[in-house]
Amino acid sequence: MSEEVEIRDAEARAAAARAADYEHGWSADIEQEFAPKGLSEDTVRFISAKKEEPEWMLEWRLKAYRHWLTMETPDWAKLDIPPIDYQDAYYYAAPKQKDALKSLDEVDPEILRVYEKLGIPIEEQKVLAGVEGARKVAVDAVFDSVSVATTFRRELEEAGVIFRSISEAIREYPELVKKWLGRVVPMHDNYFAALNCAVFSDGTFVYVPEGVRCPMELSTYFRINAENTGQFERTLIVADKGAYVSYLEGCTAPMRDENQLHAAVVELVALDDAEIKYSTVQNWYPGDAEGRGGIYNFVTKRALCQGRNSKVSWTQVETGSAITWKYPSCVLNGENSVGEFYSVAVTNNYQQADTGTKMIHNGKGSRSTIVSKGISAGHSNNTYRGLVRVAPQAEGVRNFTQCDSLLLGDRCGAHTVPYIEVRNPSATIEHEATTSKISDDQLFYAMQRGLDQESAVALIVNGFAKEVLQQLPMEFAVEAQKLLGISLEGSVG
Amino acid sequence: MTVLPLPTRRQEDWRYSDVEAVAGVWPLPDPVAIHVGAGEQAAHRLLQDAADGAVAIHDYAIHVEAGGRCTFHLLNIGGKLGRVTFRVTLGKGAHFGLYGAMIGGGEQTLEIVTSVTHAEPDGTSEQIVRSILGQKAVGTYLGRIEVARDAQKTDAVQSIKAMLLDRTATANAKPELEIYADDVKCAHGCAVGELDRQALFYMASRGMEPQAARSLLLQAFVAGVFDDIGDEAERERFDTAALAKLEALAGQGSGA
Amino acid sequence: MSLLRIENLTNTVADKPILKGLSLTLNAGEIHAIMGPNGAGKSTLAYTLGGRPGYEVTGGSVEFDGQDLFDMEPHERAAAGLFLGFQYPVEIPGVSNLQFLRESLNSQRKARGLDPLSGGEFIKLAKEKAGLLGLDMEMLKRPVNVGFSGGEKKRNEMVQMGILDPKLAILDETDSGLDIDALRVVGEGINAIMRKPDKAVLLITHYQRLLDYVKPDFVHVLAGGRIVKSGGADLALELEREGYAEVLA
Repeated sequence: MSEEVEIRDAEARAAAARAADYEHGWSADIEQEFAPKGLSEDTVRFISAKKEEPEWMLEWRLKAYRHWLTMETPDWAKLDIPPIDYQDAYYYAAPKQKDALKSLDEVDPEILRVYEKLGIPIEEQKVLAGVEGARKVAVDAVFDSVSVATTFRRELEEAGVIFRSISEAIREYPELVKKWLGRVVPMHDNYFAALNCAVFSDGTFVYVPEGVRCPMELSTYFRINAENTGQFERTLIVADKGAYVSYLEGCTAPMRDENQLHAAVVELVALDDAEIKYSTVQNWYPGDAEGRGGIYNFVTKRALCQGRNSKVSWTQVETGSAITWKYPSCVLNGENSVGEFYSVAVTNNYQQADTGTKMIHNGKGSRSTIVSKGISAGHSNNTYRGLVRVAPQAEGVRNFTQCDSLLLGDRCGAHTVPYIEVRNPSATIEHEATTSKISDDQLFYAMQRGLDQESAVALIVNGFAKEVLQQLPMEFAVEAQKLLGISLEGSVG
Repeated sequence: MTVLPLPTRRQEDWRYSDVEAVAGVWPLPDPVAIHVGAGEQAAHRLLQDAADGAVAIHDYAIHVEAGGRCTFHLLNIGGKLGRVTFRVTLGKGAHFGLYGAMIGGGEQTLEIVTSVTHAEPDGTSEQIVRSILGQKAVGTYLGRIEVARDAQKTDAVQSIKAMLLDRTATANAKPELEIYADDVKCAHGCAVGELDRQALFYMASRGMEPQAARSLLLQAFVAGVFDDIGDEAERERFDTAALAKLEALAGQGSGA
Repeated sequence: MSLLRIENLTNTVADKPILKGLSLTLNAGEIHAIMGPNGAGKSTLAYTLGGRPGYEVTGGSVEFDGQDLFDMEPHERAAAGLFLGFQYPVEIPGVSNLQFLRESLNSQRKARGLDPLSGGEFIKLAKEKAGLLGLDMEMLKRPVNVGFSGGEKKRNEMVQMGILDPKLAILDETDSGLDIDALRVVGEGINAIMRKPDKAVLLITHYQRLLDYVKPDFVHVLAGGRIVKSGGADLALELEREGYAEVLA
């Protein structure tokens, strides 16, 4: 644990102790910045109160919490997860709690080196690293003194797009939130989703009204305004009839967080003719070369393609976290609805990833495409786990799945676990999987043309992952390419 | 003697099984052991055509030593539950081939469950399974290939295809790879589909009765699985049984 | 001044000795052809000079443009100006030729202390060289060698040579897999790119036919891991006419 984290931990403990001492009990006291350590109904009430939530929301959280108590941690993934003591953690700390650094000099040089490699402008580096006062500067520097946040927000409002933190949305658009929250991922869906329902601290809400094409990629906005939304993030995106929105989550820059457990829930809803493109670049701290530390990223992401001709496309580039447990899925209820999943998952050192998707075909003529590229190096284990299910009433379903694994070195593992369940004779389901390594010939050929070994590996790996990378919005595709190379440094030779 | 508890669907190997049917035959006897010595060749086969309503479970534990070859031909068509499992371990340069077909109708549950471990380098395995399922039948292939650390130059393939004749039938497949060595060739292909409509039309345009065309295509779909059975009489027996089962399915109006 | 000086080179591949004391000197402005029967060690020589892993140098020395070649990694040799045209060009799925070459070229330029070429400059260069070899620019947008015919792969090697602009090109069986028209185009390409006072070419070939288009200044016969005979362009014709056995007898 770094010094900085230790200091923060000590502060958190002190604040919790103060809260616990308060004579009226802390649950009524929403001035406190920290919920006390541990998880109980009182923790849930504290969070809800802190967020000034309406009663229904509190009830919803409590219901989820009570259900969570009856559940068991999933154990079916090919992951070795150390036991997690849920009482030995803090579930709420007000945002902005992070100690501001005075300058980039205080940032871990290793992180700076990676920023450098990614080509992130210096002012943006400051934002990412949490340097004091950097946000304003960054916005000014990057966008020529126009307040980009304001501009963006005005532009979105003119289009009728609602783009809020989920806490704001619960207060400002309770009916809309109530209608869809938990509709795609029910609170009892799984252990981590239930936990998230009970204690989620913040997240994002997007509503794109009928016929509206969101005027910008929400990534652009998000990029600059990304706050550390904490360990239990909640995202809900609703695209009404004929609407379109592209959303990018995460960041190529390595993100450090002292919270080890991350359990986010993302729900997407696409109505008739609507389309949502959801891209993720996940680069949470993966732990050190010996496998110490690192984030546990246990995420539930699911899309409901409810309307006819609706479409949801998930693209993910997963390079971070010590353990990843994540299956962005599509429930294809709408006739002729379309689900897509494009994934690159890289594991190195002692990382573990168990990730994939579920395509649940309930609608007639629904189609899905799955392209998964797993890259394992070091002592890591990388698993694709997927489900393609065709319901009896779903005529004319098509699915195509391609799962490719690339192994770098002979100490890692690459696994493919596809489930195929078909109950309609008219379905056409195709699944293909391959395993390969970077051949010595390829490496030598590239080096003979002048590339050093690391560049050659990065180039070949990017070629392997190309089908997925080209799905990303342009600006991120370039960074993601560099990221793949950086994640695999030292893995060959 | 401790008796294992009855399996439940929470167990991966029984995920899609008819676990109620198993109760009557529990506990199961030990698996049949097949041992193929170094450099030896062995050809085995099973025609599982138990009576209607019966529960037929066949478990095999196969060990093939260095340079040995074992092939297994399987036709799985009988019983209320017809389940055949293979736990295979391959030594250096050893080979295992499974050539199987499942044809089910009524309320049959038919399953092929394999776990092939490439424990040493240079081993090869090939699994080809074709399933045809009508009425309320459930056909499942669960196939796991494990390539152990340092089992370099392993070459393992799975080709799994299923055809559904009715909207009430189910095909499940899980071709699984667990790989711990980098210089290997492992691939699987899995496809579920219906009869080729273009081929059906083409055949109709040449004057063939739709039913005849269908049955011809279905035969073609499983044909080839038993081609390598060396003993001609045996090959004939497998082909005939498969054909009879297909005709019985058609006779019951499946896919009409 | 000599560009490449090989002295008494010996090596092994998988512990088997292949080159057994090979000596050869190339001066700038010269084109040399190495011919020889199958298994003589022709490709081994090319790979050893390129620095392919598994080609163990056990003795002798090679000086390239005043530097010890064996002090350099494969990519450093490339940056120093050594180009190896592969007999079997390697496929790299998903990586376009253009991306591959631009990264390679800019790595080489960086090593030489030059600024990288911009996208525009690079495309201009690539177009020019592709035109020289009659290769469609569309081919350069496709993944490296994936789905290329044998002839296309060889032309692609020559386009790469044109773009990377080496001092020394070692071309391993560049003529194999080419039809007669392609052979002419490739031969003219080699002349246009490499026949310059400051450059040299080492053509490794089994047959004389490429030498009709690229006239060598010297021809050497490699057999049993050594140069056993050297001569002018006439030697190639003699070999073609008489066969190796006869000439070496």
